[in-house]
Amino acid sequence: MTIFFTYTALGLVLGAVYGIAASGLVLTYNTSGVFNFAHGAEAMLGAYCYWQLRYGWHWPTPLAVIVTLCVVAPLLGGGLYLLVIRGLRNTAEVTKIVVTVAIMLGMVALSEWVWDPLVPHTNEMFFGYASHLTVAGVTLTTHEVITLAAAVLIAIGLRVLFYKTRTGVAMRGVVDDPDLIQLNGHNPQLLSLISWVLGGMLAVLAGVLITPISGGTLDANALTLLVIDAFAAAMFGRLRSIPRTFLGAVVLGLAATYVLAYFPSGWSWTSNFRISLPMIVLFAVLVLLPQDRLQGAAVRTRERYRVPTVRKAVLAGIGLVVAMILIRLLMVDSDISTMTLGMTFAIMALSLTLLTGYAGQMNLAVCSFGAIATLIVYHLGLSGTGVAARMTVWGILLAVALTAVIGAVVALPALRMRGLYLALATMAFGVFVTDMILSDISPHKLPLIHTRFSLFTQGSLIVPEPKIGLLDLHDGTTFLISVTVLFALIGIGLVALRNSGYGRRLAAMKDSPVAAAMLGQSLVRLKLSVFMLSAAIAGLGGVLMSSALGAVTEDNFSIFLSLALVMLAVSAGIGYVTGALLGGMMAGVGFAVVVSSFNNLAHGGTSLHGLYTSLAHVAALLPALVGVTIGQSPSGFLHDLFDGYRRIAANARSVLYAAGAAEAVLYLLALTGTIDNWWFGVGTYAGIVLLPAIAQAVKPEAMSQVPREARPELEGVGIDEPYTERVRAMLDDRLGLPARVNRPSSRTAAATTSQHVGIPAEATT
Amino acid sequence: MTATLRTEDITVRFGGLTALDAVSIGIEPGTVTGLIGPNGAGKTTLFNVLTGLQRPSHGRVLLGERDVTSLPAAKRAHLGVGRTFQRLELFLSLSVRDNLRVAGDIRNANQRGRIDVAREAERLLELTGLAGIADKEVADIPTGQARVVEVARALMTKPQVLLLDEPASGQTEHETQAFGTLLRSLAADGLSICLVEHDLGLVMDVCSMIHVLDYGVVLASGTPEQVQQDQAVIAAYIGTAEGAAS
Repeated sequence: MTIFFTYTALGLVLGAVYGIAASGLVLTYNTSGVFNFAHGAEAMLGAYCYWQLRYGWHWPTPLAVIVTLCVVAPLLGGGLYLLVIRGLRNTAEVTKIVVTVAIMLGMVALSEWVWDPLVPHTNEMFFGYASHLTVAGVTLTTHEVITLAAAVLIAIGLRVLFYKTRTGVAMRGVVDDPDLIQLNGHNPQLLSLISWVLGGMLAVLAGVLITPISGGTLDANALTLLVIDAFAAAMFGRLRSIPRTFLGAVVLGLAATYVLAYFPSGWSWTSNFRISLPMIVLFAVLVLLPQDRLQGAAVRTRERYRVPTVRKAVLAGIGLVVAMILIRLLMVDSDISTMTLGMTFAIMALSLTLLTGYAGQMNLAVCSFGAIATLIVYHLGLSGTGVAARMTVWGILLAVALTAVIGAVVALPALRMRGLYLALATMAFGVFVTDMILSDISPHKLPLIHTRFSLFTQGSLIVPEPKIGLLDLHDGTTFLISVTVLFALIGIGLVALRNSGYGRRLAAMKDSPVAAAMLGQSLVRLKLSVFMLSAAIAGLGGVLMSSALGAVTEDNFSIFLSLALVMLAVSAGIGYVTGALLGGMMAGVGFAVVVSSFNNLAHGGTSLHGLYTSLAHVAALLPALVGVTIGQSPSGFLHDLFDGYRRIAANARSVLYAAGAAEAVLYLLALTGTIDNWWFGVGTYAGIVLLPAIAQAVKPEAMSQVPREARPELEGVGIDEPYTERVRAMLDDRLGLPARVNRPSSRTAAATTSQHVGIPAEATT
Repeated sequence: MTATLRTEDITVRFGGLTALDAVSIGIEPGTVTGLIGPNGAGKTTLFNVLTGLQRPSHGRVLLGERDVTSLPAAKRAHLGVGRTFQRLELFLSLSVRDNLRVAGDIRNANQRGRIDVAREAERLLELTGLAGIADKEVADIPTGQARVVEVARALMTKPQVLLLDEPASGQTEHETQAFGTLLRSLAADGLSICLVEHDLGLVMDVCSMIHVLDYGVVLASGTPEQVQQDQAVIAAYIGTAEGAAS
């Protein structure tokens, strides 16, 4: 019985930490409408900061705690709000998700820069492990007692804040109607700021408390993923209710310790199961939650994409393949496999173009679907052995089909809800795949058939190249050109799909789910079909990626990789196939190449070692910095670039021809070895990006003929936009005021207005 | 294609607030039924109950003889309930024409009996006077026309009942007149139309039956003439000429 009480007490302690973390998440979500994926990362940075102060600089514990909680944490939370989150007004849910994901990745990169992950950092319990309390045979350390007390105080404190104080009541209202809150004499921005400051403090407190409880050694990735435990708990309260969130946290904490106590320790998957518990609970809660009420789109979002015609897509596809063949001629063998890897990532990113760009849904675990497909093909779809081993076509098709089915199973519980829930469910699935499936490395005896088997044998799989009929992709060039052709075909297929009735229905669902439903569209069915299709593409890309790598480990399917892929595809332009190409290339190879070349330079010795190491760290931070800018241009940077090219094509074709000629010269110089490939790459890239600006400089008159002047957002007039004559005319137009009131110089004009607007007066006459 | 959409004793409570209290109204085929009342009277809530976006706490919704109270929005749309929204819910990434076509696509994908989407879209663009702006992005057109696009889009699914939530707000006088004519001709073809509108000129002009809602209860029902004479309605909503002038 003592064992039971002990584990119950430990479960409560764990639940207390989850509760502290989750309440911060609920707080920020409800006052800003932004779900903070970086919440765990804040906890992680806080824990490292505490380490730095307490153990790095040997400050006294109380001072270190106070500075971490009351200076660092508020700066972290408040800074995030002021610098990034505030700018997310009027953006789609996808944008909000991706921006906080970017912050999270940035924080992880930052922590690895400052605190070398290879050197262990350990936070000890407050008052040490020896200081403890014993009640009824149950022994808890003082640290654990403090944790429990903190959670209780926070639960009571938040309840009082929300229901007894004016500020708290206003905070509850701010996300629903900031304007109304403002009319009531509150400043909605200030309220959001307060909540993000508090959210930061709660996250950091959770981070500082949990580290010693879970062993003491700081692990940046594990702490960052605390956000999953937190949202699993918060889901009990539908991301709204603080008391239910604490209840969920306690359930999670108890479940985790009971599994540890009562599951046979001999089972190899007991510890995997325990780690995956929050994900499993999350799915269970998702299944049980009632369906979301359909609500109208609250705001007119800023994202816009233009849809190309199928003809244009075919031309672009041919262009891509030709370009790849030309580039191939420049490359050495090692570059070919890198390029192939990038193209396979681009195919995985295409799954996001369909799912996110066209349908407005999210999948934060693309690589995990790639992992599932890889496992299937590895176990069921290979022929031959050793160097003669190849992937079979049937194996690939089977893997793709099964991945689609698994995608359906994963997504189905979340599809009845808002987009955010699908994002959360897929992220949880991603971590589940890593912790449960890819951790199944030691062979165990299967019941009935008595063969020894493990899913992810030895933690590393050798994945051979596919062979399709006579087409053997063992040859590097054949592989590269084949994946490029495949990318082009899928890309053209997606554009054709977008231009079909099905594609229009996806767009309708994305723009206004409520209107689509009112026209008779079953949203769950449509979401399910598009998610399955998207998972199939992700699976195909994943299989090819594994094959391009040759051998894969758990790290190749990490959730952080998936997140980086989503983020880069969105920042490039998720509504475009080109966005997938660029995003995939950047995620697959781009930044890795930059970082490793700086690292190589650093290892080359010389006095610049420090500089190059720093540059490598900066480069590791780059993807996150790219992601954070999405708030500024939520349609992605390709959107603006395409606009520039459209104007060039319309007004300054000569510039286009000149640029083409210059590129041809550059290519020939590279082909003949006169210039380095590196210069060719940089020159081409710079040329593509800068051409609109160059055209502007060369032909200012032609380029300034803007087809249609951008309309100001009426909602922002007087706040973001100056109140001009043109705006006034637009307002009259929108309000349907007759033309004669355009110049209300006389009293008669004013009287006409009131007569028209004052409907009741009109009705009684 | 005619059916009556009726409510029986519909009550909706949000926490302690009773938004609708035992509301029973009917929308008859071939007529335009007006639903008026001050802001917050429960008009949009009633629409949400009729269309399946809001589950009532009590009462039934009947389409013809069929009880549709527990059917979700999409299912009711299949049975012939169409609506527009007070806050525009257009598909902003599509053109005006595609906003209509996608409604037909949805119908074809989810219901039996295919329609020729392209032809039906062109017919409705002509009928509603949108042909001239069919290729414009729907994000770029003024509110008055956007409201007509919502109506045309709803018509693409060949509804039996059409619920219009403040379709004339944002329209110019001229647009409203044309809109009134359109509504009368649609009703003449047998459609049941329910109109929530603050432009009482339009309501009195096109409706044959009017229900007045106030604080969730039906204050009065009757012809335009009857409603305009009703003292309770005048006090609660219409007001008097003297009251409006002061």
